[in-house]
Amino acid sequence: MDRRRIPGPETSVAPIIKRAEADEVPETAAVNNLGKRHDGRNLEDIRPIYLRTGLITQANGSAYIELRETKIACAVYGPRQTKVPAFSGKGSLNCDLTFASFSCAKRRTNYRDPQAKEFSQLLFEALAPSIRLDLLPKATIDVYVSVLQNDGTASCLAAAITCASMALTDAGIEMLDQVAACSASYINGEIFIDANFFEEQRESASIVMAYMPSLNEVTHLLQLGEVDVGLTTQAIQQCTDVCSKIYSVISMVNGIALGGKGIEGLNKVFSGTINKLVFLKHVKEKNRN
Amino acid sequence: MSSTEITPSVKPAFTFEAENFRKIQPKEFVRKFLAQNIRPDGRVFRQFRKTTINLGQIKTAEGSAVVRIGSTTVVCGIKAEVAEPKTNSSTDGYLVPNVELSPICSPKVKPGPPNELAQVMSENLNKLLKSAAVLSLDDLCIEEGKAVWVLYADVVCINYDGNVFDASVIAMLAALSNVRLPQVEYQDGIVMATETRPIKLKLSRLPFSTTFAFFDGLYLLADPNETEESIIEDVITIACDETGQLCNIWKTGGSSCSQEQIKYNLGFGFLHGIPLIGSLGV
Repeated sequence: MDRRRIPGPETSVAPIIKRAEADEVPETAAVNNLGKRHDGRNLEDIRPIYLRTGLITQANGSAYIELRETKIACAVYGPRQTKVPAFSGKGSLNCDLTFASFSCAKRRTNYRDPQAKEFSQLLFEALAPSIRLDLLPKATIDVYVSVLQNDGTASCLAAAITCASMALTDAGIEMLDQVAACSASYINGEIFIDANFFEEQRESASIVMAYMPSLNEVTHLLQLGEVDVGLTTQAIQQCTDVCSKIYSVISMVNGIALGGKGIEGLNKVFSGTINKLVFLKHVKEKNRN
Repeated sequence: MSSTEITPSVKPAFTFEAENFRKIQPKEFVRKFLAQNIRPDGRVFRQFRKTTINLGQIKTAEGSAVVRIGSTTVVCGIKAEVAEPKTNSSTDGYLVPNVELSPICSPKVKPGPPNELAQVMSENLNKLLKSAAVLSLDDLCIEEGKAVWVLYADVVCINYDGNVFDASVIAMLAALSNVRLPQVEYQDGIVMATETRPIKLKLSRLPFSTTFAFFDGLYLLADPNETEESIIEDVITIACDETGQLCNIWKTGGSSCSQEQIKYNLGFGFLHGIPLIGSLGV
């Protein structure tokens, strides 16, 4: 019994959804006969990205990312004094990812479940190689990610990594390069980039890759499930290309946020579809108190 | 800012830049503004910050709302599940509110279980919903004695710039007005629901709250932001409903405040809150 929260009933379950017979979705509905996915994308297309920094005024740096129905907010506090008493020549990075209880189709508990802990660790592994921690002795950087809506777990992790990297940039922390991440699902021997919840239920394996495009280095690679080696190599190549495209989106948002050259209008055509990229011309005043 | 300047009778020993003065003597800094009838962020005493409400943004939740009061941002999401009712009230459902101060919202919040402030806000929100009887709990009954709806209403604060409680109340009301439940039927211990969600909740009262910070026993500042909240311990929160009837009053802090002061400012709070509640379209 959690004493710090208002108590509800001891147990509760979600009602069982009764599908009408006509709506019965066949198993192989991932790709229709035109080669398009159920939401109209091609196999190698990612969802349009909406990325904006500076929304959380209390934080040193923050970013908010939306990939259609996936909504993630990230805040960075730091560098601030470390709580660890032992001296360390390098700074430490502390990542904490939480899912809001209303973020998934099935309600999540309020306290950190194992999946959130695992994602926090993966986030750390993806971001740590890109940050100049050796320049921040005795300091801690806290990266907090809150998932508000989750549409596809692997792509949620990828979006969280990208969002956290943007927030770190917004905080002005020195990094080797920004990290762009993307995910892919293996469905019926084909590679679906950036799968959402509907497609994930039909996958046999998935892969998440975090990549530093300027340095051409992979910071983190995670594959779950059984896959043919040839297919994996192909997926890694495709993910690398997609990460480079995501990087160009990030660079544009950086250009606006740091008061650099303004971009006139929407001018990026992304993987064959026009993205909903909303740019805000604001010069952020870096107030590090 | 007013154009008149304070000319001290004694020349001060030090002069500070405004930013440094704010850090060293935050209360004095604010007093200098209040003496000129203005607040550090440019508002007058009874002025509220701009409030925006966005409904239905979170598709995985049965009802949701995003509320911004100035920079303070809260997201309320309501998930509906099914549970057995309590034995002493076999038709009553559950409404379980919860205010989470996420560590992203403020440097003062650490990850982990809810801190005192979050617990107090959750409890006050719960009291407000129960005492105002916003929702009639037997509307949530599916099958008497066997199955009732449980509405888990979680309010997550994303940016803490003061006055999170007011934002949470509006977000809760807005999310409740946005809730769409499926049609359900109870068969042999299992509840089956349709895919479509046509059922709305019936809200009998729409309470909203207004918070004032009480500074130096003299000034009542409406809708305090984070800078004001961090130096002012006395806070008065008044909750009333859409007809102007008083629901709850909370007054924390040690100093005393006269009835006239409260009544005078309550009217402004009411005038501010009414269009917000009206915009929910309930």
